[in-house]
Amino acid sequence: MSALLRLALASAWNRRLSLGLTLAAVLLASTLLLSVERVRQAARDGFAQSVAGTDLVVGARSSPVQLVLYAIFHLGEASGGIDWASYRRVAADPAVAWSVPLALGDSHRGYAVLGTTADYFAHYRHADRRLLRFAAGGAFAGIFETVLGAEVADRLGYRVGDQIALSHGDAGLPGLAHDDKPFTVVGILAPTGTPVDRTVHVGLAALEAIHLGWVGGAPLPGLAIAPELVGKFDLAPKRITAFLLGLHQRAEVFRVQRRINEFRDEPLQAVLPGVALDQLWQSVGLAERALQAVSWLVLAVGLAGLAAAMLAGLNERRRELAILRSVGAGPRHILFLLALESFVVSFAGALAGLGLVSLLAATAGDRLAAFGLAALPLAPRAGEWQLLAAVLVCGLLVSLLPAWRAYRLSLADGLIPRL
Amino acid sequence: MAVAAIRIDDLAFRWRRGGPLCVRLAQLTLAAGRSLFLHGPSGAGKTTLLNLIGGVLLPERGSVELLGQPLAGLSAAGRDAFRADHLGFVFQQFNLIPYLSVRDNVLLPCRFSRRRAERAGDPAAAAARLLAALDLEPALAAVPAAELSVGQQQRVAAARALIGRPEILIADEPTSALDANRQAAFIDLLLDEARAAGSALVFVSHDQRLAGHFDATLELVAAGAAA
Repeated sequence: MSALLRLALASAWNRRLSLGLTLAAVLLASTLLLSVERVRQAARDGFAQSVAGTDLVVGARSSPVQLVLYAIFHLGEASGGIDWASYRRVAADPAVAWSVPLALGDSHRGYAVLGTTADYFAHYRHADRRLLRFAAGGAFAGIFETVLGAEVADRLGYRVGDQIALSHGDAGLPGLAHDDKPFTVVGILAPTGTPVDRTVHVGLAALEAIHLGWVGGAPLPGLAIAPELVGKFDLAPKRITAFLLGLHQRAEVFRVQRRINEFRDEPLQAVLPGVALDQLWQSVGLAERALQAVSWLVLAVGLAGLAAAMLAGLNERRRELAILRSVGAGPRHILFLLALESFVVSFAGALAGLGLVSLLAATAGDRLAAFGLAALPLAPRAGEWQLLAAVLVCGLLVSLLPAWRAYRLSLADGLIPRL
Repeated sequence: MAVAAIRIDDLAFRWRRGGPLCVRLAQLTLAAGRSLFLHGPSGAGKTTLLNLIGGVLLPERGSVELLGQPLAGLSAAGRDAFRADHLGFVFQQFNLIPYLSVRDNVLLPCRFSRRRAERAGDPAAAAARLLAALDLEPALAAVPAAELSVGQQQRVAAARALIGRPEILIADEPTSALDANRQAAFIDLLLDEARAAGSALVFVSHDQRLAGHFDATLELVAAGAAA
């Protein structure tokens, strides 16, 4: 048997180019399969932790998913605002430990502008209940000061001290810029892998200030108010989009939710972010499954390539196999030789794929943050071991095909191949 | 009387049940250490007969006995092991595994058969001795088989067939790729070494001019004609 193994090794080395290419195909296929799995898991975890530590998200009545999508991810349409007075009354509930108001609607070069209070930086938590961290500078204090998410600062090349101008709405229309009242960047947040990275944060008063003299979503002609003068106006917020609530006791969450849903002055809804995020994830689950299906297809192509390469190589190897038979190898040795070779190739490909995924996770983790992914886990998860096992089983099954063909050929050829 | 190296009785073989008869041989006996020239037109079933002697195929009727052992009495794995232990083969061409060195090609039977390795004594030394006896320079031993000329390859194949002194040597048109001068030289070398090893030799060729080198001659006639 050891003679056979040495021969297998020498023979494989002799065909190292085609075997190497086949190995590369299997390697890339299993890398794709495993990295899709790992990214999927990381994306799901990161997504589920986009708002950690927040017990309730409250907004105007619409669908829970819509509210979370807009308030947290700044996607879709606002469901209409809520009154500042309503917010104050809910926030005064004795069960509420903290609250953070959120006002959306303006943008800066495609990035959402979020009006909030400095409490946001103290209470907003993301993955693993981590608080936001400043990479540079600190929270805003003055009216025309802003804190940028990591991606905003990185993509647009802003640093602390730079001046930026906001746009009204999503900046689709020209002439609706708030360029008469520029903001100074006072802080830049560290990357989080959440929508915070893509957000421009300003104080609620700032949003009031830049809309002074505006009526119905457009500036009134001839009524420009200089930045120095805004202090003379009432800058108390009138309407906000939504707010986050943290409770003293998690157990109170359903009672508080019911109280908010039955709020009299205005139709409000309180949403448990985790539940809404789960619903959201299920609606994007289709794309996730499609991605998985594609990577399985790629694996199938890789393994089919393996079988094809082995089968194509078989004709060249018929003489070699006949020589082995003449010196005493049986057809079962030939079967073993071929099956071993393709199994080793798929095994090595799968393992190398796992290694490559881990290497990618270790080296490209920072870049992945740009795609909204938190750092990828270095160690494979349970799901990946199952995938690896599946790859190996498929590899073994595929390896039987050329082995069986070689077995049949060596039975038919006997000692002298009829070529 | 000593046991015959090869003894074939009333042999018939066809590839498919109900198909045409492929080999038909009433009687063949080859005593130990003797040489036999087997010739016949192409299509007479020479190759099939070698597969039958090698135990790769089993006859439909009749028996093949090697060294007193009926091949039909052995399992397929048993026949493979028997072939490794007692038979050496030289084929028409492409005898060698191209990516192995000359030495490793010669040693191949010793890797599959412990008996051959034991009978060779020190296999590496036996390989070197055989290569030298077959006019191959010692420097060639480490060269990959693919780099040799056809004539050299056939001599390496002979060394491989002879190592470990198998009782039976089968040579299937081993000289057809060689020119006339080299044919005679190769046959003489093969016969000398077979004699030295005490091996019985079956030499298959369609070229009847070579018959004079051997102890006996047998003509294989096309099975269809004989039947």
